[in-house]
Amino acid sequence: MAEIQSNGGGGGGGKKRAKKQSTRVDMTPLVDLAFLLLTFFVLTSTFSQPKVLRMIFPEKLDEKDLKNMKQPEVKDGITILLTGNDKVYWYRGALNDKAVLEETDYTKNGLRKILVENNLTLLTQLRDFEKQLNKIDDKDTAKRNAIDAKVKQAQRDSKLVVLLKNDDKASYRNVIDVMDEFMICQIAKYFAVDEGMAPLEKKLIDLKTKS
Amino acid sequence: MPRSTPSLDMTPMVDLAFLLVTFFMLTSSFRAPEPVFVDPPSSTTEMQIPKQVFLVTVDADGRVFIDLTNPAVKELVLKDMMRDFKVQMSAEEVKKFAGAGPIGLKMEAIPAYLELEVNARIKVQQSGVPYDTLNIKKSQLYHWAYNSRLRAHDDFKYREAEATKRGLPFDKENYIQFAVKADGNTKYNVLKNVIQVFREAKVKNFQMITGLEAKPKD
Repeated sequence: MAEIQSNGGGGGGGKKRAKKQSTRVDMTPLVDLAFLLLTFFVLTSTFSQPKVLRMIFPEKLDEKDLKNMKQPEVKDGITILLTGNDKVYWYRGALNDKAVLEETDYTKNGLRKILVENNLTLLTQLRDFEKQLNKIDDKDTAKRNAIDAKVKQAQRDSKLVVLLKNDDKASYRNVIDVMDEFMICQIAKYFAVDEGMAPLEKKLIDLKTKS
Repeated sequence: MPRSTPSLDMTPMVDLAFLLVTFFMLTSSFRAPEPVFVDPPSSTTEMQIPKQVFLVTVDADGRVFIDLTNPAVKELVLKDMMRDFKVQMSAEEVKKFAGAGPIGLKMEAIPAYLELEVNARIKVQQSGVPYDTLNIKKSQLYHWAYNSRLRAHDDFKYREAEATKRGLPFDKENYIQFAVKADGNTKYNVLKNVIQVFREAKVKNFQMITGLEAKPKD
């Protein structure tokens, strides 16, 4: 400080200079920094929100219960078989030697088309209910509840049963993809079979891949 | 003329920018360092992850890592585990464990792991929490699941009682739920075995963590 004053020469002139110097600070770097931090926090906080898919598993059964339990009958349903290399097979009806295995895939024209075609009755019903809901006033809860009850009844009455079975090679991604597909196609009744594939089903897949 | 450069008063802008920065800093929580990289499959659900979870991470090799987002409950569960498996840990180590993120080690190896610096922990090859499909009730994973379920229930009851005592609203959805974050390439049967252990401990409801995927239009 002392040096500056001595360099400044006359006392009067120095005072005048000091007055002229503005007290403004250049805030541009500060703004730069602030916005950099802002962008960082905005990007990291909103995009890392994962979503969840709820799965409910039955409580573990005793061996006694397991013996008494009947295998689910699939007269009117379809069975989806998952195996390695992202391959999916499916057949209609009960499992016997006459079951016709067909290969499909996870695309829109594969599994989804099959599920939608088989679930058309329920899907049209649900769409009708949705149209009715749209016509009703939001405040009319009595009517809304009545339609909700109808939706639940329709889901309960749905005849389509879909079974999901996998072998040792199927990956978790495959299962989630199929579960997701069930939700998109609004399948009311689907079951993941705990025991996995039956020996006959494995044999059918073997035959299919060889041919 | 050259003297009159247009100068802009940036003070309000800086005010606003820092206000927003503070807001985002306070509301966002940093992701805890993860010992494994897991790439979950994607689905079209729009359900948000629950606020409090017991997180089970399963990587592509089938190793299991566990974590609890509520530190207080996590400490209690660890104390239960120390009792069940007769492992001694100091109060300081218990505190450290609560903030250590997902851990995939057997109980006996946890104290040594907590001794390490945070940066050194990432380099440790964790073998996963041991579980056994034949002798489920003796395995450590079963005990983690069982103790956590009980502690989560206690926590819920406690907070419900506190809320009613003070006449505050109580969010019933805000209880500790079990979430599974598994790699898409994990064999489903491996995951089934892990879930089997949890089912044995009477945990039936799982939130499967998935990435987001656009919903198809009819």
